[in-house]
Order: sequence, then C-alpha cells, then structure tokens
Amino acid sequence: MENMTLIVSDRSLKTGLPDCGDTVLIDLTKQGIRNCMGCFGCWTKTPGRCVIRDDAVRIYPLIARSRRLLYVTRVRYGGYDVPMKTLLERCIPVQQPFIRIVDGETHHVQRTVVPKEAVILAYGTRDAEERALFRRLTARNARNMNFAAWRVVFCDETAVESQLRKELAAWENS
Amino acid sequence: MGELLILNGSPRAPRSHSRRLADLAAGCWKGNTVCRDILGADLNGLCAETGRASHVLLVFPLYADALPVPLLKFLTALEESPPQSRPVVSVLINCGFLEPHQNDVAVEMVRLFCRQNGYPLGSALKIGSGEAILDTPFRFLVSRQVRRLVRSMSRGACRTFSVTMPLTRRQFVSASTAYWLRYGRSRGVTKSQMETMDIEPDGP
Ligand SMILES: Cc1cc2nc3c(=O)[nH]c(=O)nc-3n(C[C@H](O)[C@H](O)[C@H](O)COP(=O)(O)O)c2cc1C
Repeated sequence: MENMTLIVSDRSLKTGLPDCGDTVLIDLTKQGIRNCMGCFGCWTKTPGRCVIRDDAVRIYPLIARSRRLLYVTRVRYGGYDVPMKTLLERCIPVQQPFIRIVDGETHHVQRTVVPKEAVILAYGTRDAEERALFRRLTARNARNMNFAAWRVVFCDETAVESQLRKELAAWENS
Repeated sequence: MGELLILNGSPRAPRSHSRRLADLAAGCWKGNTVCRDILGADLNGLCAETGRASHVLLVFPLYADALPVPLLKFLTALEESPPQSRPVVSVLINCGFLEPHQNDVAVEMVRLFCRQNGYPLGSALKIGSGEAILDTPFRFLVSRQVRRLVRSMSRGACRTFSVTMPLTRRQFVSASTAYWLRYGRSRGVTKSQMETMDIEPDGP
C-alpha cells in the first residue's frame, strides 16, 4: 500500500467510511494499548520493535507507511487526550536513538517513515487559547513525526463525522 | 513556608531522571516536603494530598512534545475531583533534546490546566539534554537552577528558568551518539542494529 491513507480515531464512527481505495481506519476505542514505560528497548534492545507486544505494534508501522494521516482526537489542556497520546508515545520505535539537526534544532533520525500530509481533526477545545496551544503542539510534532504538511481542523464534538467526510472528500479530489 | 508536594510524572518513575531532580528540589525546600510517584498511585489519594499542600511541584519528562500520559491522567483526575484548597503549581521538566525551549508547549499545557481549574501559577524550570546531563560535569548547572527554581517558588514568584549542556548542536550530536552506542553495547546491540531502517521487521 504505497499510497495509504490512515485514519486513527479516538471515537467510534457511527456510519461507515466512504469507499476510498487504500484507506485504513483504526478505532482506538477497540484497541488495547498500554503506556510507554520509557525503557528505550525499541532503540537499544530490539531496535525498531517495541518490547510491549500489544495492539500498538500493529499501528505504528501503519503510521510510518501512510502518506496521508488523519487523527481524530479530543483535546485536553491544549494537547491530545489520553487515548491518542498513549498511542503517540508508543510510536518511538519508528525513530532511531541517534540525533541529527533539523531546522536548527536537535531531533531523532527517522527509520523508514514516509513523509506525510497530516490532518488533525480536533474536538472538545474550550477556548481560543487552547486551540492556539494545540496548533503549537502540532507544529512541534511535525518535526518529530515527519509531517511534510499538516493542518489542524477544530470542530464541535457533534460535527466530527461530517467534518471527517469533508476532509476525506477533499483528499479524494486533490 | 508551607508544605511542598513533589509529584513525579515520569512513566519510569522509580529509575527516572525526574526522581533525581525531585530529590534535588526536595533538598532545597525549607519546609516539609512529600515526594510521590504518579505512576501506579491511587489518583484520588493524590488529589486529596494536593489539596493539603501549599505548593505542588510537577516533575516530569517531555514525551512526544507534551505531557507524559501518567501526568495527563493525574491532571484529568484532579479536574474531576477538585480539592477545596488549591496549591500553587510549579513545573520542573526535562527533555532529551538539547534545546530547553522544546519544553515550552508542555509548560504552557500545565499553565493552561491551572487557568482552567483555578490553580495559582508558580515557577518553571526547563531542562534540555536531560537524558544525560545529570551524569556529566555539567550537573552543577542543573543543581544551581533547581536552587533558583525553589527559591522563586518559596517567594511565590512566577518565573521561568532554563538550563542545558553548554555544547554546540554538533557537539551534542556526537556526545549523544556516543551515549546511545554505549547504551546499546551494554545490552549487546551494535550500531548497525540500532541504525536499522526497518520498523517491526518480522511483522507485529
Ligand atoms: C516515548 C518517549 C517520548 C519522548 N519524547 C521526547 C520529545 O518529544 N522531546 C524530547 O526532547 N525528548 C523526548 N523524550 C526523551 C525524554 O524526555 C528524556 O529521555 C528524559 O530525560 C526522560 O526523563 P525521565 O527519566 O524523568 O523519565 C521522549 C522519551 C520517550 C520514552
């Protein structure tokens, strides 16, 4: 799947997705993902492989391979809420421990991670300050997660599915 | 000087750099201090303890540019079970990369939590190169900034400090490469194994 679009959602979608070729949907409510325990086993013991063998080990290779990535997440304190954050912390096997300089800052060398176009569909923010902070967070993530381009779309919790459809349609037509 | 509750939000709390930083901070506070690991703790109990302290110091590592999950879960629990009295909240954060400013967003997240939930804001110390600095000759720089942080907290000030290894980025890249190679070697793993470009090479 060279042109894979991956959707990772922290809420179950009530209706199916429109039928679009190489699209994979991960519903985080149906995954068992434990917390990263900061052991660095994925760098220094079994490089490229997390030592915790749960559902996360199926998902981070998909994130690495995707060309288009869409995260659906609740926002908490200007960041991802627990389910998405738990997954993101478990994704460090996609990086090497070794450090390089990127845009004048130190960052890890990536393993085979396709540069991607990312959309983060974020709901549950309380005010403009929280939205601004979440945007700052995604700008930092872009450097560590190989986002070639990214966009944050804020929406109301009730509008998540319709907004998701709009984003997918925009990708289909681009 | 009131009671200081130091909460360690590291996912590897017992063997974390945050634990060592918490010990440094505890040693500088003139009043009573209580140190707790968030990992594995009864969160309701920690919320109640938070209400009894006059100051809380959150000590944690930067994870994926933000707060690590144990701390995020604790703040969520605190929002759900708010104590009657709200302590001043300060931050001591460390990150793996050289630049302390990579911690900025995470510090702002704690401050946003405080504003959303009515906690007075205290001071913050942002540490870069936190994975290694405590075991280098630059450790004294950290101790000095921790002392300044604690002094600022005890005065009720809202200041931000930062510290990192005084190295150029290039020097940091070579020092960190040597660090990770030693780490790998201690586990019988070679440089070329660590450099693999494969992710889950044998399938999940
Ligand atoms: C899952 C994970 C994510 C991390 N994310 C970052 C990051 O985004 N930026 C950074 O500079 N360091 C990052 N680090 C490195 C830690 O912040 C660093 O190793 C720190 O010293 C750990 O502190 P502790 O021992 O108190 O847990 C990460 C480490 C892990 C295990």
